[in-house]
Amino acid sequence: MSGVVLAPVETPLRRFVSEFFASSIAAIGLAVFVVIALAAIFAPWIAPQNPYDLAVLDIMDGRLEPGAVGGSGMTHWLGTDDQGRDMLSGIIYGLRISLLVGVGSAFIACMVGASLGMLAAYAGGRTDSVIMRVVDLQLSFPTILAALMILAFLGKGVMNVVIALVLVEWAYYARTVRGSALVERRREYIEAAICLALPTRRILFNHLLPNCLPPLIVVGTMQIARAIALEATLSFLGLGVPITEPSLGLLIANGYEYMLSGKYWISFYPGIALLITIVSINLVGDQLRDVLNPRLKK
Amino acid sequence: MRQTIAALFLAGTLSAGAQTLTMAVGAPVTSLDAHFHQLSPNNAVASMLFDRLVNTDAQARNVPGLAESWTAIAPDIWEFRLRRGVRFHNGQEFTAEDVAFTIARVPNVPNSPSSFAGFVRPITRVEIVDPHTIRFSTNGPYPLLPQDLSNIYILDSTTHAQATTEQFNAGPMAVGTGPFRLIRHANGDRIELERNAEYWGTAPAFARVNYRMITNDSARAAALLAGDVDVIDQVPTADLARLRTDSRVALAETVGLRVIYLSFDHSRDDATPFVTDNDGRPIARNPLKDVRVRRALSMAIDRAAITSRVMEGSATPSGQFLPPGIFSHVPDIAAPAFDAEGARRLLAEAGFPQGFRITLHGPNDRYPNDGRIIQAIGQMWTRIGVRTAIDAQTWTTFVARAGRAEFSAFLIGWGSNPEGSHPLRNLIACQSRERGWGNSNRGRYCNEALDQGLVRALQTLDDADRERQLMALQRQAFEDVAIVPLHIQTNIWAARRGFEVTPRADELSLAQSVRPAAAR
Repeated sequence: MSGVVLAPVETPLRRFVSEFFASSIAAIGLAVFVVIALAAIFAPWIAPQNPYDLAVLDIMDGRLEPGAVGGSGMTHWLGTDDQGRDMLSGIIYGLRISLLVGVGSAFIACMVGASLGMLAAYAGGRTDSVIMRVVDLQLSFPTILAALMILAFLGKGVMNVVIALVLVEWAYYARTVRGSALVERRREYIEAAICLALPTRRILFNHLLPNCLPPLIVVGTMQIARAIALEATLSFLGLGVPITEPSLGLLIANGYEYMLSGKYWISFYPGIALLITIVSINLVGDQLRDVLNPRLKK
Repeated sequence: MRQTIAALFLAGTLSAGAQTLTMAVGAPVTSLDAHFHQLSPNNAVASMLFDRLVNTDAQARNVPGLAESWTAIAPDIWEFRLRRGVRFHNGQEFTAEDVAFTIARVPNVPNSPSSFAGFVRPITRVEIVDPHTIRFSTNGPYPLLPQDLSNIYILDSTTHAQATTEQFNAGPMAVGTGPFRLIRHANGDRIELERNAEYWGTAPAFARVNYRMITNDSARAAALLAGDVDVIDQVPTADLARLRTDSRVALAETVGLRVIYLSFDHSRDDATPFVTDNDGRPIARNPLKDVRVRRALSMAIDRAAITSRVMEGSATPSGQFLPPGIFSHVPDIAAPAFDAEGARRLLAEAGFPQGFRITLHGPNDRYPNDGRIIQAIGQMWTRIGVRTAIDAQTWTTFVARAGRAEFSAFLIGWGSNPEGSHPLRNLIACQSRERGWGNSNRGRYCNEALDQGLVRALQTLDDADRERQLMALQRQAFEDVAIVPLHIQTNIWAARRGFEVTPRADELSLAQSVRPAAAR
């Protein structure tokens, strides 16, 4: 008996982790995302320059090629933009804003949307109709148009971008959660909870919500990527962040006019950074969907 | 024989090809009614369809238009002798009646967003002496009347008696005496023109003109390189370096009349909204009221760096309104030299050794590189201790707020008539409804002594004497740093091989300025 090696106890979390890492592409995606997130979090320590401090920028260093040495003796590995801002630093700081806006807005939208979706499913009747018609109305608007209108009203600024993104994205979560909550609430354990006369709040958040989480996590990851892309679009159109604190979208917009004249690096590198970020998040999201969806199981 | 026919045929097709000019302009034309909206793109189209009594040449000098000559026959009466035998596109003859009708119509165009009325306001009485002589009485001596009338396009008293702005835009009323007649107007997209064979002046080189509006800078430059258009205006500065070396394209440039400047809040003695101390608390007195602070902020700006790096050479640093060679340019006012040390000293003298915080506002879609210029100034001010935040907005939002004096410091531009009283009256003089002055004085600078001098100068008929007075007034204004001029823009057109553009100081993109280039 002593020679028998016991297999590690199979907990749901362990199974989930091993299933997730079964796909090497998803693992790479997650690794890239972690690197990007760490770079964004520790930006002030790893970026060669603080690109938001006007005092360290010099217009005479504007539009230097990748690898060129600026007036202060600093090497700009990815070149500089039209204001003499080091592109590498600009991208690292830009990622920071993009991730903050993306994750922040997805999180808040998720809370708002999930609560309203569950309420609609649980309460049913008139409450359900009102909430879901608002969701329909919201989803019938093109996202970018709605965001543009909200920002035109609120004005520029990182917080306003987050508010605008929350306002246009909560509907996706509400719809998703309502769908799975409708199924779950007919289950016996909910009926049992109701019979026990537990408070509604407790039934909603302790019983119903945990069982609606898997689809919510999948939608959430996808929406983070979407929010980052949307923030980049808004900044590209000049409605997002202030011009002295560029996010990735604004960096791309700044360089766009120079594309024709051969100064590709101002738009190109931030574009690549944006692409890698979104792809890595989407890879993680795809794998999460496969792992968390019982119907896709063999 | 066959060869001759082939050669003739070939020559025929070639000249037919050369007969059409396609040009693309960067700013949309808002109306074909020549009295509706004072806007350079509209004036350009009006200058092709209509004529003025006094036309202006490429250097913005007055030249005879529908008037052959003009003289002041008394201190307050101007007499204009009109050109004979001129006909409108529909065959109507041009007479003094038409001039009187035009002067009467100008102030009465409904819903005009920016009226031409100011140019005819000095006229108190119009007297038709004979069909080809007309006299204008003014309220006191008014030497600038010919200059003012160079902004007024002449209409026909019979054709346009009841004409509305909508009828001009639709086409049937766009009938003038100008070098081109209208074929088609697609609002905001293109205007098609045909040569007026009976034109009294120099005949235009092209029989047909396709005048397109391509507002996106990169798209306009790309259309030129692709050969879709022959000429473009407002060449994007980002593409200048490349176009200069491209043998398929020739650039035509001239120093313009538009000055880009900073304006400060002169209206508040106590706290101004966008200035705080270094901890973000409001400062009880407005530091911008102190001339030393204004001078320090001007000295801190490296104008040469802005014109070379941001404008890529398409502007000249300036310390005044007008470029050299223009009436009442002041030769002894140089562009303020860049001196960060001196600026810091002046700030300390004014009681701000540690500087302060300020927000610099500006448009981001009105002037070439406007958003980039204010960022560059933000760098320079931050370096002398004035920590600067930048807020660039779209023009419509920006200009409305600037007009209400909501900002502390902002960037804006001004396209002058070629004489100093025009910017002085509009940008520096105290706001006065009664005089019609200070209309664009958004910083609310006000100096009664200067205004009195301006009244005197405007009544001086002798040109040399008036120029001396205007120069003294400009010295006074810039000594007091009423505004901070940055640079004067260069107007640039680009043409494909085979086309030659005469660059105009007044920015107008005219089809009659384009000719086939001499063989190279």
